[in-house]
Amino acid sequence: MNARGIVVATMLLLAAFAASRGAAAGQQPAPAAVPDLSGGWVRVDEGSGSFDGTVEKHPPAALTAAGRALRVQGDGRNVIPAGAGTGPANKAGQAYIVNTGGCTPEGTGGSAINHNSAAMFMLQSKDEVLMVREGPGGRRFFMDGRPHPDLSRFTPSLYGHSTGRYAGKTLVVETVGLTVGNVPGGGKRRPETRLTERFELSSDGKMLMITYTWTDPELYVEPHVYQILFERLPEDSYALETWCDSSDPLQTQSIVPPEQVQ
Amino acid sequence: MRPLAAAILLAVSVFASAVSLTAQGASPDISGYWELPLDGKFVPPAKLSPTVTPAMLAAEAAKREKAIRWCNWVGMPTTMDVGRPLNIRQGAREVVIVAESPVTPVRHLYLNRKTHIDKEIFDPSTSGDSIARWEGDTLVVDTTGFDPTKGITVIPGGGFRTAETRLVERFRLLKGGDILSVRVTWMDPSVFQTPHTYEFRYQRAEREYGARPYELCNPFDPERTAFLEPSK
Repeated sequence: MNARGIVVATMLLLAAFAASRGAAAGQQPAPAAVPDLSGGWVRVDEGSGSFDGTVEKHPPAALTAAGRALRVQGDGRNVIPAGAGTGPANKAGQAYIVNTGGCTPEGTGGSAINHNSAAMFMLQSKDEVLMVREGPGGRRFFMDGRPHPDLSRFTPSLYGHSTGRYAGKTLVVETVGLTVGNVPGGGKRRPETRLTERFELSSDGKMLMITYTWTDPELYVEPHVYQILFERLPEDSYALETWCDSSDPLQTQSIVPPEQVQ
Repeated sequence: MRPLAAAILLAVSVFASAVSLTAQGASPDISGYWELPLDGKFVPPAKLSPTVTPAMLAAEAAKREKAIRWCNWVGMPTTMDVGRPLNIRQGAREVVIVAESPVTPVRHLYLNRKTHIDKEIFDPSTSGDSIARWEGDTLVVDTTGFDPTKGITVIPGGGFRTAETRLVERFRLLKGGDILSVRVTWMDPSVFQTPHTYEFRYQRAEREYGARPYELCNPFDPERTAFLEPSK
């Protein structure tokens, strides 16, 4: 083979390489415009010293009379005696179990809607985006264009039903079908309440801002909007596995509420 | 001759790279919802080591009862067989497996590293530390770092996981992508005489499938307690 032949052979191989890469790319499209959200993220404390302090910086929710009257009943496991008000009302003298919340995925932050200090991990696939925490369960954002289900035939859940789409470089997720509960900033939610989340990356891809908008004319005078900032974890980071054991006496201590001064 | 040899080497090198990258880019996509039918399990009995005593097996069975009673995270191997579809999502960095259960931690199979987290750093868990790689059309997942004290430790076919157990799973699509075969091999000389291998074959759920809400596990539910502990 002379030098020209070698050049031709090399060009043919390069052409085959390019074609094969194109075929592979066709099988698993990765549009360049889609923001790369995959990986680990941890919530940033924006200078308040605590996550409660961060929440206090959120604009307070403007609730309607119906919103203020909506009673949020906990299920008795993740009782927080003061502050969050997620637990059932306990009568004075009636002992109840305080669970740290770590033993059930619905504990504070477990739903990946009201985030705590545990990391969350995102994975983008063609039909679905996953958002999982460091325990069981996780949120699924259906990206295949399916509509929300008829809520009259949908069982409300911790995660609700979420659909997503990319609007430019922003992932926009809409969720309905959540169980009745509290929302940061003094808000409330019910299955009919619509949560819109906008996921926006910083220009260097290291920070993620999620803008939450809760919309429900029955509960809110105006949409309740706030933001939470996340920092990308290093590439070699990995998900931990939270652990708590409800049979551990330290996790199931009884609390007996004292009589309250009226 | 030297330029000619160099050119041939270059051409071969480019071709090899092309083949290698194409193989990577063309890795099958196992993303989807997968359910394990009754006839999808081929589980032979494990050949246990003579050092495994009935008392040890009874202790592992007791751990199982306790984990179920108290809604503990159960982890591997139970995560792969909870009676409802698995949601498997494949990305460039990792493959994630989410089971429809309130007690199965999410599995992360990392494609972006070749070695396990240092034992000095990694906190043993019910799911362990999983690293994954593609071998042709097969996703090979290697897991170590199990916590022998947590979750359901018993293994289908017999035996149990310990802190020294190594698990290798081989995921492969069959029947044009309608079936996902997972060939599972447990290795631990303190438990098994020979590596214990079984196979699960999952069926792909319909495209429109959406994970159903599940009943949350409440360890303090008196009716549930009476069912699981009828003697009390």
